Amino acid sequence: MTERARVSRRRFLVAAGAAASVPYFVPSRVLAAPGRTGANDRITVALIGVGGMGGNHLGTMMRYRDMGEVNIAALCDVDEQRLAARIKDTGPGVDPYRDYRYILERKDVDAAIIATPDHWHAVQTVHACEAGKHVYVEKPSSVTIEEGKAMVAAARKYERAVQVGSQARSAKPAHAACTYIRNGMIGKVHKVTCWHGRNAIGGTQPDTPPPPRLDWDLWLGPMRWRPHNTAYYHGSFRQVMDSGGGNIRDRGAHVFSTIRWCMDADGQAPVTVETKGTANTKGIYDCPPEMEVVYTFKDPDWVVVWAQPGDRHTNYPDQNNDFGMAFYGDQDTLILDRDGTRYAPPEKARSFQTPPGGVEVYKMDRFKNDNYEFGSNEYNMNHKEDWFQAIKTGRRPTMDIEKGHQTAVMCILGNLSYVLGRKLQWDGEKQEIIGDPLANRMLGKPQRHPYHL
Amino acid sequence: MPARKPKEAALGAAAAAGVATAAAAEPPRRDVEELIAKIKGKDENARTDAWVNAGRIGAPAVEPLATVMADPDLETARAAKRGLWKIVRRAGRPEADRERKAAVAELAPLLEEGHPDGMRREVLWMLSEIGGKESVKPVAALLQSRELREDARCALERIPGGHSLKALQAAFDSVGDDFKQNIVQSLRKRGVDVEGFPCVKRKPTKETQVKPLA
Repeated sequence: MTERARVSRRRFLVAAGAAASVPYFVPSRVLAAPGRTGANDRITVALIGVGGMGGNHLGTMMRYRDMGEVNIAALCDVDEQRLAARIKDTGPGVDPYRDYRYILERKDVDAAIIATPDHWHAVQTVHACEAGKHVYVEKPSSVTIEEGKAMVAAARKYERAVQVGSQARSAKPAHAACTYIRNGMIGKVHKVTCWHGRNAIGGTQPDTPPPPRLDWDLWLGPMRWRPHNTAYYHGSFRQVMDSGGGNIRDRGAHVFSTIRWCMDADGQAPVTVETKGTANTKGIYDCPPEMEVVYTFKDPDWVVVWAQPGDRHTNYPDQNNDFGMAFYGDQDTLILDRDGTRYAPPEKARSFQTPPGGVEVYKMDRFKNDNYEFGSNEYNMNHKEDWFQAIKTGRRPTMDIEKGHQTAVMCILGNLSYVLGRKLQWDGEKQEIIGDPLANRMLGKPQRHPYHL
Repeated sequence: MPARKPKEAALGAAAAAGVATAAAAEPPRRDVEELIAKIKGKDENARTDAWVNAGRIGAPAVEPLATVMADPDLETARAAKRGLWKIVRRAGRPEADRERKAAVAELAPLLEEGHPDGMRREVLWMLSEIGGKESVKPVAALLQSRELREDARCALERIPGGHSLKALQAAFDSVGDDFKQNIVQSLRKRGVDVEGFPCVKRKPTKETQVKPLA
């Protein structure tokens, strides 16, 4: 056999595309003609986890499908009732799965959107990369540092585009704030504070046998086994440290991403993390109802304070907006509601035009949202668009897994300091806690067989 | 749970583990009694304060709290478990090896036959965080328990050092065929490959009953 004959058709097409300096992505089924948008250009996706945010992702994919740019090949969920409902919503031609690993075996699937509970993110992302799939994974990217490192390594080894769902990086309000701050309009920023509503108290119901519709073993996945209790799912997984980590790992993963973007700090890690928190008085939920985490950064020196509830410095006091951030510079302050998705920043940032020679910040705005309308979903579309372009061009997505991991590190260490009841000194280069061997042991967690990295 | 007097348990466990007893540093017995009374009380704020501060009492409270973990009242049992975790996390802090060893010495006997599986599972995970070579033998013994072997495997995987690795290697020969893959995974994680056992993590096994739309 000649060398050429041994090159697979897919590999040949990829190589040919790259050599011609055109997007190298070739969908699994067929090759499109240059310049023509049609069925041949479609990316074939599968969605793993279709409740909650997974339902939102399905909506965005159906819009893309309607535009002729995406095929939806499969949906997966461990809750059969929910899976059946989503299959019905999505229509014919979409295959249902309980076990995501069947999807990974399919050669026609190019990419997976993972919106399972947090404790599944890393394992499914790594497995998907190993199977040659591009990945869009919900935030936080992982629940342990070890998982996050494995995700970055898998994305790089298999050269997959792994986008993390901190979609403010594709949102107009966050972009305006980022551009304003990076151009020095509030001066040197020395402190950023965040506010968020309290974590919930609850989950007092007793354990019960799992309902027939739910595969409890698959729901638990990598987590240690425990008896079934409805307090753990679906949305309430957020309130349990192992599976959700509370709002610091949920909204924190959004807010910290936006802060790191605005501060141009994607390469910077905190050097100390110290958490104080109250204790949950009853129920299964074990995240602190109130907490304050102080992160210090060096060179440049600045501080992030995550506080629940904290001081609510909202631009929209008449609206029920329960989280956001305030940037304190030596010349001015800028408040950004939520994570910089749904609410416009103040007029000064909204109307700011980058001067010649100023800092231009990457923007994805294929889907316009000129009026900052509350409830707009366009940032979700733009974040997918960025991912698709990354898949097609080979560049890294705007919220590449490495940035997502660095963001998750803040969420994870904030909770770890609370759990351990002590201040942590962090070495971002080595990704180790300094002088605390038993805390370092907790940077990873053994995973149940066979649901492991 | 077998009846065991706290003091006897503490002394016995410490002696078995070959470490100094925690008696010298023990807080007054009334601290332990007060802790347990508050945890068994009906005032949820007092109960919460009690378990949050259990770490300072340390090893002498381990066995009494473990006993309360079997309480039929869910909140009482939960508070006891959380108090126990507080002890573990505090004992694991830097420069506190004496406290860590004392806590481990109290935890290890709780893995013995006769204690509730739910409590033993919790203790396995506690030892995964603060256990050392002294914990390996009692943890490894549970690799023969159908109910607890997976948690025991995870604990051994996490406890660093040659003793835990040797225990995993020895377990490969002693466990049933249905558990060898699990052991192999831990060995792989610890840098030891076993021939003839390729990784099965991506092999699908669970089919849905949901049908696609026609």
